Amino acid sequence: MALINVQAVTLGLKHYCPVLLIQLQKLHSSSVNLAWNNFRTPSRFLKYNEKVYPPQSSGEEPRPAFVCHQRTNIKYSPWKMWYVACLVRGMPVDEAIRQLKFVEKKGAKDVREVLEEAKELARKEHNVEFPSNMWVAESFVGKGQVIKGIRRHARARHGIVEYFHCHYFARLEEGKPPKHYYLPYPKQPHEQLEEWLEEMRKRKIYDSL
Amino acid sequence: MSAHKCSETKTLDVSFCQFWSGFCGSVSLCDFEVNFNFYNFKVLLYECKKVKVRKKMALRCANNIGLRLLQQPATGLLAPLANSTPTQIVRHRKTKHWNPKWKLFRRLKVMKVDLPNYREKPEDLSEEQIRSKLKEQGLLPPRPWVERQFFIHSTGAVFEPYVPPEGDGKVSPVSKQGAMQSIQFLQKKSKTMMAIRKLRQFEEEFDTPDFCKEATKIYIKMHEMMAANDKDNIIQVVTERAYPEVMNNIENKTIHWKYIKDIELPRVVHARCTDIITKENIFAQMTVRFHTQQILAVYDRFGRLMHGSEIIAKDVLEYVVFEKHIANQYGTWRVHAKIIPDWLPPREPRATTYMRREEPIAEPEAAVVESEAKAQASVNQSSVTSPA
Repeated sequence: MALINVQAVTLGLKHYCPVLLIQLQKLHSSSVNLAWNNFRTPSRFLKYNEKVYPPQSSGEEPRPAFVCHQRTNIKYSPWKMWYVACLVRGMPVDEAIRQLKFVEKKGAKDVREVLEEAKELARKEHNVEFPSNMWVAESFVGKGQVIKGIRRHARARHGIVEYFHCHYFARLEEGKPPKHYYLPYPKQPHEQLEEWLEEMRKRKIYDSL
Repeated sequence: MSAHKCSETKTLDVSFCQFWSGFCGSVSLCDFEVNFNFYNFKVLLYECKKVKVRKKMALRCANNIGLRLLQQPATGLLAPLANSTPTQIVRHRKTKHWNPKWKLFRRLKVMKVDLPNYREKPEDLSEEQIRSKLKEQGLLPPRPWVERQFFIHSTGAVFEPYVPPEGDGKVSPVSKQGAMQSIQFLQKKSKTMMAIRKLRQFEEEFDTPDFCKEATKIYIKMHEMMAANDKDNIIQVVTERAYPEVMNNIENKTIHWKYIKDIELPRVVHARCTDIITKENIFAQMTVRFHTQQILAVYDRFGRLMHGSEIIAKDVLEYVVFEKHIANQYGTWRVHAKIIPDWLPPREPRATTYMRREEPIAEPEAAVVESEAKAQASVNQSSVTSPA
């Protein structure tokens, strides 16, 4: 492919600039040009969608359905995306989508679309009757393809410009979200008191009887 | 700030605007008019220096109202000039040099990189876009794939999807319709006898009761393989035509199927032999009536019951078409299709609710095609989930 390109250019240059022509012949022009085309997208997260659980008996509480979804190589910084991912964690899906509409970050659009797609996926493929009755059980970011460019510095030096991409992963689970998503959750006053009493009773008094 | 100072600034700015056409605007404020440059206030200062007019106060004022004014649409003297550019440029960074002459050099310092578009799908691109892309990369367009694969181990249809009427399908023999029905029945039966005779030419020891036993075995084996999701071996008991119908919609599901007993003995109700392409290349199709008791429970991916029950046995009446390539020495009887007579009672509705999609009103021709496709789909679906 690249060879054809070089040939085409050489034909044009032949009559104009022999110096450039020599340079062009020395040009390394094959797979290196396509270095970032051979990227791999994460696939392990979506494997959870294929896990089949054993049948439940009629007395058991029905297992909540879940669906994993991802979007790969979003042109946005993974470090900036982290804030958006954290925001929706542990929220009901519809609430998360509503909140994301007011986030003025570039990544918020992608996150919202991923959640909407996941809802649709749950309804279509995972036997979820009401996709609105789901919450964002997992929401995290991965680092994607990094494409490097060059920038000129003074004194014949150079810098490297990094064009970051990120992956976004989300898992929706059926049911109501838990009251506290993160552990340890803030303790109630009576719990604090119990803990303090326990601590007091356990302490050792030195040089006592 | 006095009106005099402002007017000086204004005249200066007009000349500047002619140079940087497009970045200028003016706004009327209280009793005086300030013209300013949208691009950079420091540029204005630079110009002021050049003509030895240093109006610090004017500049400070301009800086103070800076952002607020930038957001407002241009009015006043220079409105037409400002409107020539639809976008307004707002600068938040203060790290760049104030002199715009370095702008080009700043840009040249960074190597331009063509970032790949990961969101782009080839199916979304128009033909022209694909062509230009290939041209850009110096590639030849891919050759069209015009080959079509044929498989002649089984036929693509049921020769005559006929089921002798019974129960609700039967009309009283006294009426004209009833007489017609009985005549038709006799015709079909004679043809069936001929087909079985033809079959005996290839298979001398063919016996209908024995075949029914074999058919039951194949029928049970097919269902067990389907429940086990045995994609590779099910082709031994199912023809290529029936395979997609049998395997449709069973991924990620657990199917419990059990055959309990025959209510009536299975019997052959219809048989046909047809040659395809050459005279000797003969396929035989047999319709067998099964009246059985079965148990079916379908669980979704999470082990929740979707359909049927583990304990309730149901009576199932089915007309299953078996096919064999009798010209082939190693041909076997395989399940080919299932016939659903129109007099069968309607199936049980689904347990779950779902949102109804409003379909756009299609053209009459398209609508006919669609309804046909739907009918086909419903046939496919009903043939997959057996006892309902």
